[in-house]
Amino acid sequence: MSLSVNKLAKSVSLVLITAMLMLVIAACSNSNNESAPPSTAPSSQSSATPNPQSSEGDSDWKPQSDLSKKVKFSYASVQGIEGFDYNKGDALAQYFSDKFNYEMDVASLNWDNWSERLRIWINSGDMPDVAVYNYNHADAAAFVDQGMIKKFPDNWKTRWPNVAAVFDKTSIGPQMEHTFGGTYFIPRARFMNNLPGDPLPNHPSLFLRKDWAEAVGFPIKTTYTTSEVMEFAQKVKDQDPGKAGNKLIPIAENTTHAVDLFVARNSTHFNRFYMDTDGKYKWGGASEDTLKGLKLFSEAYRSGLLSQDFYTVKNEEHGSYFNVKGIAGATFFQAPTSALQQFYDDFQSNTGLDPYENLQMATVLGDDGNYHQYDLINYWGAIIFSPNIKDDVFERYMDILDYNATLAGNTILNMGIKDVDWTYESDGTTVKSLYDQAKEGKPLGGTSGKYPSMGYLLGSTILFDDFAFDNPNSDKRLRDLSKQLYTERTKVATPESFAKVNWDLFSFDSPNFRRAQMDYYTEYANIVTQSGDIETNWNNWVNSKKSIIQPVLDELNSKLGS
Amino acid sequence: MENTLLKKNNSSLISRVLKSKEIYFLILPGVIWYVIFAYVPMYGLSLAFKTYKANLGIFGSPWVGFENFTYVFRDPAFLESVWRTLWINLGRILFQFPFPILLALLLNEIRMNRYKKAIQTVYTFPHFLSWIIVSSVLINSLDMQGFVNGVIQLLGGDPVNFLGNTQIFRPLLYITDNWKSAGWTMIIYLAAITGIDTEQYESAQLDGATRFQIMRYITLPGIQSTIVVMLILTVGNLMNAGFDQIFNISNAATAKAGEILDIYIYRITFQSAADFSFSSTVSLFRSVINFALLLFADRVCKWMGAEGLFPSMKKKARS
Repeated sequence: MSLSVNKLAKSVSLVLITAMLMLVIAACSNSNNESAPPSTAPSSQSSATPNPQSSEGDSDWKPQSDLSKKVKFSYASVQGIEGFDYNKGDALAQYFSDKFNYEMDVASLNWDNWSERLRIWINSGDMPDVAVYNYNHADAAAFVDQGMIKKFPDNWKTRWPNVAAVFDKTSIGPQMEHTFGGTYFIPRARFMNNLPGDPLPNHPSLFLRKDWAEAVGFPIKTTYTTSEVMEFAQKVKDQDPGKAGNKLIPIAENTTHAVDLFVARNSTHFNRFYMDTDGKYKWGGASEDTLKGLKLFSEAYRSGLLSQDFYTVKNEEHGSYFNVKGIAGATFFQAPTSALQQFYDDFQSNTGLDPYENLQMATVLGDDGNYHQYDLINYWGAIIFSPNIKDDVFERYMDILDYNATLAGNTILNMGIKDVDWTYESDGTTVKSLYDQAKEGKPLGGTSGKYPSMGYLLGSTILFDDFAFDNPNSDKRLRDLSKQLYTERTKVATPESFAKVNWDLFSFDSPNFRRAQMDYYTEYANIVTQSGDIETNWNNWVNSKKSIIQPVLDELNSKLGS
Repeated sequence: MENTLLKKNNSSLISRVLKSKEIYFLILPGVIWYVIFAYVPMYGLSLAFKTYKANLGIFGSPWVGFENFTYVFRDPAFLESVWRTLWINLGRILFQFPFPILLALLLNEIRMNRYKKAIQTVYTFPHFLSWIIVSSVLINSLDMQGFVNGVIQLLGGDPVNFLGNTQIFRPLLYITDNWKSAGWTMIIYLAAITGIDTEQYESAQLDGATRFQIMRYITLPGIQSTIVVMLILTVGNLMNAGFDQIFNISNAATAKAGEILDIYIYRITFQSAADFSFSSTVSLFRSVINFALLLFADRVCKWMGAEGLFPSMKKKARS
């Protein structure tokens, strides 16, 4: 017996030693799962609009902090370039760090870890001095309640009026100020002067091969219903006008955009609870509109109109099937004004075709002929401060934000250095570009651009969408087209199909409500790719969610319903 | 009598430790690691019975009794993920557990040392690749426009949807994990084989035993106790089905087929509003099940005549 015990002891020792060695070796060679590539900075066309109500330049603008005293602070944001020196890495970064006399320690987060990492930092009381936060109301309410982020001083709006003007424009800013009884978040405005509508439409659009459409006899329009898009795809599949052969993808999408194209375009509340016309709260997942969209989605997938492995497409690669490889008939893709120039340039350089002649951009409507969307709300990401931030650092950063919300600051942030990259026309307000990309051989911004630091990392409350409408660095035809698409969406909609934000619902929170949140994009794609009848699959899915959805509906109807 | 036996047993334990102090010294870093990173953080498990408030910390957060468990068991996705985890891992025991043993037995039969080392290196290397890299290669090779489907189409076949087919998903998990991990696990068995008394081999050869007979009657029984320990540890880990692998290989089409308990915990913790109490509850549940399975496997092994993880003191004392 003792022999076998010894044998066992030997075995256990052997296992333990080997396991320990494994641990040591693994620790030395461990590859980091979070080593996703750094996010790219916005392109040279990425700009934000100046605020005409704010002071226009250095002469009018007065700092609230003592700029002669250098401050150091830590800063976390998505879209930064890993390892880039945002203090002296390029002339633009140098300009701002000199002007505001700061040294910034940047933590560049990527899309995958942004929310998660920031949430952990905040919860552990270890957040950087300044951070760009992906606003989530349930979390935000908990942060405010527990004092995990800084409350702004009561007089901040009079001290930093340019930031306050942007704050008011976001609509969510004042709403949350009211909800929380003070200011904790500075939402960043998508639009200032060129707000295309209220509710605010989103930018993703249909890109369609105009030359292929003409070849198969499909009408060229600026709006198509989902079924019309499928009709075009069927014609392309049958006739293969581009001679792409077995590489042809009639509609190229990833999971998110496939759901956006088929489900979201037919069902306004596909991913949320909503108040119906009868005053009762309902769940969008169980709505007939959602089923309608899923049926179209399923039909497109099963008939081979949609890329057969759309769910394996990472990030935004599906766009490249259209404008780089030239093997897709259409794609529903991101279309912020600032990104169009690059998309068109890529199309031209890769396919050798003139994009203005061979590419059609359009709005996709539901099969009822209406544009479906829930109010985008005029913001994206909010600036928050650590509760432990020193007053002088807080004031300095607010100075940076305030200056960059002026015409001068905003233009520098988006177009580069004055009299080097741009100047004013004789009227003193219209901006004229001095930057010649062809001559310079690189774009103005972006990782490989003249100013990799260009963009939000240098401190901005105004995003590039609005300025892009007037940015002289991109083709006027694209700017006009983009404006037209935004505007059209507000016109081809009803108040029900294009719903304004319900602030009661937006600020609602409960344990049941939190636990009923889900990734609708994955859920819908999963339903569609399952075998069997789509309606049966959907019914099964709705029933499987009942136990977590019903308590929320009960709460909403008892507390907010009419 | 009993006291004398225990005393004798204790003294023999101390003497055994002193006798093998070098080995126990090697274990020390591992023990320290476990204390710091596995035992000390266990106080966080109390979150399963609290509503976590970051400003109050784990100790200061208010108690809510079994409220979190009520929420957990109300969500059908939770129990589905529990069963799915068990099924996937039972498949791993069936299709993956024997593979490194077989590999070790076969490698042990190779006489040319240089060739043996080369083969061992080839089998061990994939362990050092992260699942991100392995899954990227896999996705690029197996997608509809990938290399494998290119070959299939070249040979006149229709492309196969490898990555979106839920029927293929589990075999894909087993094959890829075998490819990645079997060589590494094999090292444990190879180490056990080297511990077998070589005189047994020499005697068997003198008696005219074939190489297969030697493998069957000497090598395999010689590593039996290692196999048992490994099996018990594997069973005790049944509720962990390989988060990294499934997270990187699964997609929207296979999301349900791949929603194991770890993925479920990840989803409820990071893909919606943070609820650390809720995820602690699920984690605690998982740990309890794992512990129960570990004891169960240990009992079954003992019942079948093997030693198990914890030989009883009485037996040791008697021996």
